Amino acid sequence: MSDALHFASHRLQEIALVTMAIVYAFRIRWILKFPAGKERQAPTGTGSLKPRTSIIYSWFNIAQPWAMESTRTKFFLYAQFVVFHVGVVAAIGLSFVIPYGPGLLESPALMNIIRILCFAAFLVGILRIIRRVGSKPMRVISSPDDYFSLLLLTVWFFFAGLATPNNYTGGEFILMTYFWMTAFFLIYVPFSKISHYLYYPFTRFYLGKTLGRRGVYPMVKGHR
Amino acid sequence: MGRVRSHNAEKVLERLEKKINRQIATSLAACVHCGNCSSCCHYVLANPDDPTYQPSYKADQLRKLFKRHVDWTGRVIPWWVKAKSVYTDEELEELKDVVFGKCTNCRRCSINCPMGVDHATFNRMARGLLVSVGIMPEGVAVVSKDQWEIGNQMGVLKEDYIDTLEWMEEELQEEFGNPEVKIPVDKMDCDIVYSINPREVKYDPRTIADAAKIFHLAGANWTMPSEGWDMTNFGLFSGDDDLGGAVGRRLYEKVEELRGGRLVISECGHGYRSTRCEAPNWGKIDVPFVMESSVITMLNYIKQGRIKVDKIRNEGSYTFHDSCNNARSCGLFEEPRELLNLVVSDIREMYPNRTENYCCTGGGGAMSMSEYTPLRLKSGKIKAEQLEATGANFVVTSCHNCVDGLTDIIRHYKLDMKVTQLVNLVAEALVIPEKVVVPEEEVPVEVEKPEEAAIFAGKKILVVDDEPDIRIFFTSVLEDNGATVIEASDGDQAIEMLRAEKPDLVTLDLNMPGKDGGQVFEAIRKDEELAQTRVCIVTGRPELRRLIYDRPVAPPEGYLDKPVDEETLIFNCRKILELG
Repeated sequence: MSDALHFASHRLQEIALVTMAIVYAFRIRWILKFPAGKERQAPTGTGSLKPRTSIIYSWFNIAQPWAMESTRTKFFLYAQFVVFHVGVVAAIGLSFVIPYGPGLLESPALMNIIRILCFAAFLVGILRIIRRVGSKPMRVISSPDDYFSLLLLTVWFFFAGLATPNNYTGGEFILMTYFWMTAFFLIYVPFSKISHYLYYPFTRFYLGKTLGRRGVYPMVKGHR
Repeated sequence: MGRVRSHNAEKVLERLEKKINRQIATSLAACVHCGNCSSCCHYVLANPDDPTYQPSYKADQLRKLFKRHVDWTGRVIPWWVKAKSVYTDEELEELKDVVFGKCTNCRRCSINCPMGVDHATFNRMARGLLVSVGIMPEGVAVVSKDQWEIGNQMGVLKEDYIDTLEWMEEELQEEFGNPEVKIPVDKMDCDIVYSINPREVKYDPRTIADAAKIFHLAGANWTMPSEGWDMTNFGLFSGDDDLGGAVGRRLYEKVEELRGGRLVISECGHGYRSTRCEAPNWGKIDVPFVMESSVITMLNYIKQGRIKVDKIRNEGSYTFHDSCNNARSCGLFEEPRELLNLVVSDIREMYPNRTENYCCTGGGGAMSMSEYTPLRLKSGKIKAEQLEATGANFVVTSCHNCVDGLTDIIRHYKLDMKVTQLVNLVAEALVIPEKVVVPEEEVPVEVEKPEEAAIFAGKKILVVDDEPDIRIFFTSVLEDNGATVIEASDGDQAIEMLRAEKPDLVTLDLNMPGKDGGQVFEAIRKDEELAQTRVCIVTGRPELRRLIYDRPVAPPEGYLDKPVDEETLIFNCRKILELG
């Protein structure tokens, strides 16, 4: 392994992670400076009125595709969502496994799982690009950041899939590209739509709290 | 040099950051533009070729300001995240058309957003920002003004309100043959203070009588307040928290003044939500008494055996429409079904339902924004299909806005269906104890018909409208009920006929070519000979009532909002002519 690849897979990643963590800390501070609304009214409704139940339900709503019409009726899109996000976990995990636990990739099963997940996510990324570019309603709501973030992740999945065997003897281009992309990704995330996962706990917490107090969450079946 | 910003645009941006709370900030920051919300919005479904109806697109019209002025990436590289500022009043007008005209704040997209973005909440905030600089639909301005100044959103005067209660009380006394049956007003130390929607006073007093009948038979210790009786709250629609808090406070203080045990809120989705859930937050008020929907009160009366009902009395098939405010924002969806099940036999569930139901299209104050009516009716296609699929004869709802919204849809899409409320069905199903003198059960259809036919016997009514269809409709309804009707198609002709015919009542359209209804009205009031003529203003655009308000003459005896149905026309003319 060259010094350049060693730097890219170790120090560069650490710098990127620390940078991301610092920016995120500022971001959370920014969120917390906004006042939280207070619910003064007595609870209403027939749902569970325990705040904790509804907040937990809200956080895990996304894991219940049957609960929302938007996910229930578009299962193919929901499946894409799952594959895409599992791919993110696999590709990020790979950036820790290669420098700090390369021995794990000696297991062909684990290596193949990570590879399949990354390539599957890559294919979903392609489908998502086609949808975002090809559908007029999607184009209307998309910003340059939406296109770039999607493209960035799709290409990154591709290189993550190629980099999974961690084989640099035949050339370091793939691993170098993967690690530099990972570092860029980590630094870019807080400034882009990709940081949505940082907001998710907050949006879901407040929606769960509000709709829980009003007896709307957990949702009651309202369809056939 | 930077672009010059209008005063209103400056104010909107200045207030934007102050209005944002944590829930709204994260909702504005979190959207990933996945497009999942689009298929959940009735506006999108009814306008599939226009992507600007998508909730995420509509939300972006506010989000771009947030990103440009509050968030960080948009401040540095605005084009990258489509952040944009606002400079002119024209741009604010465009935002107005989005937040008022293309969204009813029904919250259906919110519960379908995988990210938990509560679009309805910040859409309301955007409305509030615009209202704070005076940019809003005319109807919103008029109704808000009425609620601020007169104390209720339809500008019902105290004497008219009390008159209506007395009228309903007399009808009940006659029905029960008992002068002791009362609609108590300002009675102290009651268990229940009953609040209503002003629409009940103006257009549907039968619901007041029905509720009173139920309270009477349940032996309830109840009262209605003489003031602070309006449980509706236009602050919910206009986004004006100050108005919302003030309206709530007015009601709460009256209940405390009367030392009422609890506040019962008649069937109204936005009224229930505002009074029960939101006004304490807007006004920062800790309400010390219990508040409940009349649906729950009626259900409890039946469960406790305080009233008895016989579901056979409500013939036909029924479906239930969940009001967005009741179901999606207050969790009130099982109790109405339980109650409906006790008072009718044939129930056909509407799909989707409960929290997933589609908006009636009349929510979010849409009924008062006549400039968006064509769009509203077009988007009602989804609701019309939902209604038709049930095959029911009646659609039941616990919301006055839904009653009007659904009535419009039924008429527009020519559905064979009627709208009713639970209070009417419960009252109809009541089993009256033996000791009470009851009119014979089968009387209404057979016996009252000839009586009704003579309601306006001996009365001469002048119908003034430039639309021939309206004149024909009014004339046939009024003539069928015994009136002598004369017609005028413009203002000048109306004044001529007034002088020549001396009618007892004039139904006067406001929007006419040439001399408009406002000018005719002023001419009537200023003419000594005609000044006492009773006038009912008829308009399809409530904001045009300003043409009347702004005139230095005594107010008209009544108002009718187009479209007018037969029952409403008869009710109002009877009331104006004091025909009991």
